[in-house]
Amino acid sequence: MNKRLRDSSDLANPQQPQNMVPDSATPDKSAPESKSDSRTPSKVSREAPCTHCDLPTPYVGENPPHPLFCCNGCRGAYELIQGWGLDSYYDLRDQANGERNRMPEATDKGRFDSFDDPEFLGLSTPKQQSDGLQSAQLAVHGLHCAACAWLIENAAQQTEGWNTARVHLGDHTLRVMFDPATCSLSGIARLLHRLGYELAPITKQPDAHFRKENRRLLTQIAIAGFCAANAMWIAVALYAGDASGVAAEHRLLLRLMGTGLGLIAVAVPGRTFFRGAFAALRTWTPHMDLPVALGLSVGTVTGTVNAISGRGDVYFDSLAVLVFFLLVGRWIQFHQQHRAAKAVDLLLRITPAHANRIAADNTTDWVLVDTLRPDDQIRVAAGESLPADGIIAAGNTTLDRSLLTGESQPVAAQTGDEVSAGTLNLSRSIDVTVRAVGSESRIGRVMQSVESAMAERTPIVQLADAIGGWFVVIVTLLAIAALVIWSGEGWGLAAGHATALLIVACPCALALATPLAIAVSLGRAAKRKILIRDGASLQLLASKGILWFDKTGTLTEGRSRAQVLYGPETALSDAAAVERDCSHPIASAIERECLLQGLTPPDDAELLVVETGGVQGVCEGRQIVVGNIPFLTSKGIVCSAEILAAVDASLQIAATPIVIAVDGVATTVLGLSDPLRQQAAETVATLQRRGWQVGILSGDHPAIVAAVAQQIGIPLELAHGGLLPADKLERVRQPQSMITVMIGDGANDAAALAAADVGIAVRGGAEVSLQAAPIFIASGRLTSIVELIRGSSATSKLIRTTFAVSLSYNLFAVGFALAGWISPLLAAVLMPLSSISVLSLTLAWPTFRSP
Amino acid sequence: MSVLYIALPIAIFLGAAGMVACIRCIRSGQYDDMDTPAVRMLIDDKPSVEKKQTKDK
Repeated sequence: MNKRLRDSSDLANPQQPQNMVPDSATPDKSAPESKSDSRTPSKVSREAPCTHCDLPTPYVGENPPHPLFCCNGCRGAYELIQGWGLDSYYDLRDQANGERNRMPEATDKGRFDSFDDPEFLGLSTPKQQSDGLQSAQLAVHGLHCAACAWLIENAAQQTEGWNTARVHLGDHTLRVMFDPATCSLSGIARLLHRLGYELAPITKQPDAHFRKENRRLLTQIAIAGFCAANAMWIAVALYAGDASGVAAEHRLLLRLMGTGLGLIAVAVPGRTFFRGAFAALRTWTPHMDLPVALGLSVGTVTGTVNAISGRGDVYFDSLAVLVFFLLVGRWIQFHQQHRAAKAVDLLLRITPAHANRIAADNTTDWVLVDTLRPDDQIRVAAGESLPADGIIAAGNTTLDRSLLTGESQPVAAQTGDEVSAGTLNLSRSIDVTVRAVGSESRIGRVMQSVESAMAERTPIVQLADAIGGWFVVIVTLLAIAALVIWSGEGWGLAAGHATALLIVACPCALALATPLAIAVSLGRAAKRKILIRDGASLQLLASKGILWFDKTGTLTEGRSRAQVLYGPETALSDAAAVERDCSHPIASAIERECLLQGLTPPDDAELLVVETGGVQGVCEGRQIVVGNIPFLTSKGIVCSAEILAAVDASLQIAATPIVIAVDGVATTVLGLSDPLRQQAAETVATLQRRGWQVGILSGDHPAIVAAVAQQIGIPLELAHGGLLPADKLERVRQPQSMITVMIGDGANDAAALAAADVGIAVRGGAEVSLQAAPIFIASGRLTSIVELIRGSSATSKLIRTTFAVSLSYNLFAVGFALAGWISPLLAAVLMPLSSISVLSLTLAWPTFRSP
Repeated sequence: MSVLYIALPIAIFLGAAGMVACIRCIRSGQYDDMDTPAVRMLIDDKPSVEKKQTKDK
């Protein structure tokens, strides 16, 4: 484009270099570089660059004029930028270029540039969002605890164009959202590299970087273990020598050997802590590695000085053991976090990990689900879960789709039907053509939204984050205080006490407590078919408040049932025969009841009259009238006192009465009602016992709502009927001091579910429900609500307990260390113990366990 | 006591050899997955039987 803009006006420009080749002599197509190459091949280095675009210009000389342009286009751009007063652009650009040139290795630049290449990124390729931003998920190496996540998420806030970062500690991934216009993925990778973290694209096997980190930690543990074990026996020999006498030369040998081993331990596996501490210092962010690194350095310096001078203790046995224990603690934590993430990696729990793939020659082969591709054929035997989304290629069966839809009835599925991963094949073996696997499948997408709950910052997590930051600062200050207090007793002792304090006070357990508890609880809940989208709901449900139930479809089955209250059941089959062609709910209720009673309605019925209130027809020569009392009266049918009494009884139990008359005589009374769900009364009673207020918000007739409320023990003043969806929303929104929970259908109560403090959807599809409400009960059982409430308060209790345990551990530990009661060795043993105690508490705590 | 000058390096050397062996095991992936081997026995080995049968044919 620059070349095309080049025209005769260039020549008229006084600032144009004198020896610039006139355009008429240069063909339009030739690039500036080729021009210069052909004319002055030996003077390339002396060519002056264009002020705007930095490309070489034809000008060759000692003092290039400023500004200098390679073409008219650049001049135009330069003048535009100057005109806007944005000339600092050029300074900024030069700075940015300088920054790039200062990168340590030239190859590094190329390495990060590949972060803009979709080929290299694979699954991590950024996805365009509707708001113009791009989002990508990447693996992060070098995460230790919540402080790292905090640092990265803060870095995102301070970087222009990088909107959000969500660190997923559980599986060591990072989700970034950035503006492709001002920020690139390579830039983010470069920035994080400077902070001490390594980004990598996620791979097909999300375990690949887990494996790498695991191997790295184990290798370090092996080296630290070797050093620690040998340093220990050398130390024992020295102590024994002190007691029973040892030759001075041997003593020196042992001390030097021990020092050497200790130095290896600090330098090789211990450098992890120094790297973390340096990153913390560079960004001025408190980090748990800081006190540890400080302790290690104080110990190393004192130990080396003592070893060389030949006086005092060498601390290297303690330091090697410390590095060893710290690494073991870190490995255990890493492993447990990964396991917790696996528990939430629900796909693994709900869909099978293996599939029976059919090869071209019709043999079958068990393969990992990850290796399945669209259009593969798999065979799913009866009783197995489907491993992937697909279309049935052969066979008929029935499926239990309750996980996705909440419907408890098995659904028939034939060849050509779509099926989803996670549904259970009930009756016969089927062949399925794979369409989507893993996170691409329907259940995979649902699980992703549940998983994102792990990264959610609940208020108590924020508290832990804030405390963690202060903690590091306070501990460092206290360590200096310890150094000062004990300095009177000698430098060695003071250094030992300060080292012990720094080590023993690591806030690791504090940072670990809450995220781990929430992750474990969500995972366990999901296994019990309770899908929770955000961890904050768990905390809200742990307090007490008011629970609003929707009636139809939530407390009741949502389908009316016609029960014979008076008279012969045979009239039922006549009524069903007459009403066969009606699509009215009453007609289908009567038909269903016929099926339930095992009656077969005759075929030759004829429907004659359909009016408001009832129908009239002929069945096997009998005149049949089905309807309410006014309709029967209008047809000239007189009801006996028994019939009228039965009608009254029906109204008493909140059932709509329907009368059937055969040949002009009313014979049977049906009560039409929506039966309560099983365990509705039990659930309500349990919830009330736990201190919750329970109410009904229903669109149904107030009288029916009142009757239902009476049946299941809900006080009448809390049973509201005749409400429109907007009225429900109004009631849920009413400012209340207590937590408001709405329990309803996923589909028709969406607004109220979303407006409540916590919405719980009990029916409908998982995708839709989880959009409206943070919790979806996929089991379809009302008792799951009790389980949920119970689990929430258990989780909340767990968080408080682990928090208290780790906080009091730290308080006591720091106190004892300050008093000089803890040696560095003991500190090394105590520190991982606090993390392990938090871990074992969390794993043993009965959240979402079967009662 | 001069045996110490020989015994100590030998002890360290043996320990280092053990460490190197351990690191080799870690690098080769022996410790990558501590959970699955325990569960692996529960996975049906029907496929291998089927494979054998097809091979026999």
